[in-house]
Amino acid sequence: MNNTEKTNDAVTKKDIRKAAIRYMFMACNTFNYENQQGPAVVYGLSKILRKIYKKDEDYKASLNNHFNYFNTTTWMANLLLGASVAMEEKDGIKSKDAVQAFKTGMMGPLAGIGDTLVWVLYPTIMGSIAGYMGLQGNPTGAIIWLLLNVFFFFFRVKLFELGHTSGLKLITALGDKLNVFTEAASIMGLTVIGALIPSVVKMNIPIEFKTGKVALPIQTDILDKIMPALLPAVLTFVVYKLIASKKFSVTQIIFMVIGLALVCSFFGILGV
Amino acid sequence: MEIIQGLLIIALAFWMVLDQQGFVITTWFPAIIGMIAGLIMGDMTTAMIIAGTFQLMALGVANIGGSSVPNYGLATLVGIYVAIRTTHDVEHAKAIALAVGVPVGMLGIQLDVLGKLLNSYVSHAAQKALNLGKFKKMERIFWLGPLIFGLTTALPTALCVLFGDKLVRLILDVVPKWFTDGLSIAGSMLPVVGIALLLQFMPVKKYLTMLLIGFVISAYLNLPILGIAILGFAFAYYYFTQNMKKTPATAGAADADALGEGDDFDE
Repeated sequence: MNNTEKTNDAVTKKDIRKAAIRYMFMACNTFNYENQQGPAVVYGLSKILRKIYKKDEDYKASLNNHFNYFNTTTWMANLLLGASVAMEEKDGIKSKDAVQAFKTGMMGPLAGIGDTLVWVLYPTIMGSIAGYMGLQGNPTGAIIWLLLNVFFFFFRVKLFELGHTSGLKLITALGDKLNVFTEAASIMGLTVIGALIPSVVKMNIPIEFKTGKVALPIQTDILDKIMPALLPAVLTFVVYKLIASKKFSVTQIIFMVIGLALVCSFFGILGV
Repeated sequence: MEIIQGLLIIALAFWMVLDQQGFVITTWFPAIIGMIAGLIMGDMTTAMIIAGTFQLMALGVANIGGSSVPNYGLATLVGIYVAIRTTHDVEHAKAIALAVGVPVGMLGIQLDVLGKLLNSYVSHAAQKALNLGKFKKMERIFWLGPLIFGLTTALPTALCVLFGDKLVRLILDVVPKWFTDGLSIAGSMLPVVGIALLLQFMPVKKYLTMLLIGFVISAYLNLPILGIAILGFAFAYYYFTQNMKKTPATAGAADADALGEGDDFDE
């Protein structure tokens, strides 16, 4: 594990951690439409690369290289950047093109896996648990989520170290395993989403049919008898198809739902 | 006390975007932001009910690859502040939070785009400083980025803290009951958008079974979400262990699998 560190005594484990935290803070906080996360990479690596490049010209060339377009899931970027530092440490400025090719080549696949895990599945599972508890005024779910984030923070620092020590081989090897992991996470995610439809989407029709003396409430005596959460299931299907048709933006659909709720409230078709 | 609360809410708004785009600890997800706002405002129950409503609306609305999405965290924060300042009734507070929060969250999209545009100049200025050999100056220029993004959420929050509750009280005197009821109904329906959006990202056709199992257990058996999440984990664990055994022996098959999965994600 310590092989790379022994060959170069300039870069210490502390430097690596510092670079990781610097990058993790800046990540998307200098995000722009030109080079996206490029400036954040420069900010993250500027201290550690100064240790590697003593000559100003080499330092400038290396940082200019890192200013290039870069965009991937920031959690995964730690692996890539750790490995990039290891390459520059070993071969100096000669590695510039290899570093660039490696970063551009890997950022796509890593973003594919990373965005699904980090920005879709993780917030969905934690968000549904924390959100559902929240509806009852209970902050426990939110606190668990926060604690998990703290754990992942240290995990990501480790990823940077891992990228630095094990480098390129690991990232390609990890790719296969991550695919299985993503699939497994999708299975869990979809089970939770299936449960979310009846538990968080609420619709209630307060109208009653009256024939003579007998009143027949539509919601409890008709709809719920056919299937519980029938209306939420239908609404989910309709909105799913609307989004899939790509004719409307998500924002437009949000306003359509608000509009529908207001109209139905006015005519008393839907109740609180 | 009210002034300190207002300042803390604005500070949280500033931090929230920086953390979401960086450390990802407090994030801008409504549940966590609501929990912190609840601590600041001293009313955890109301704050969490509002946060829960927004959290479920926000499910699946992910800002992937630098896209701009409605800022539900901002919506939660200003919603909670204005609602707790205006009323003590929980259902009423929810309607107020939605009425204030949704438009502000939408405004968040525009400000986010503006922040990303302005950051092009930050990047250029930093690179220029680098090439002139002014390394210290370059480091300082980078800090303009977080400053800009912090302001994109802190400014609208500050406006709501200053004028929000007065404006809302004024509006609520005029607005009829069906309208606030309608907003509450919308709050219970809107999670559907996030759920439907999530389903677009996920391999629904491949794992429709799981979706149906989750639905049935929740709708017919009323099992709490955490229980269903554990069940989902059980399925996932089984799949994972079974397939990890296979991976080294049939690397080719795994590749074909990965391609098939790519197709599902596009649908």
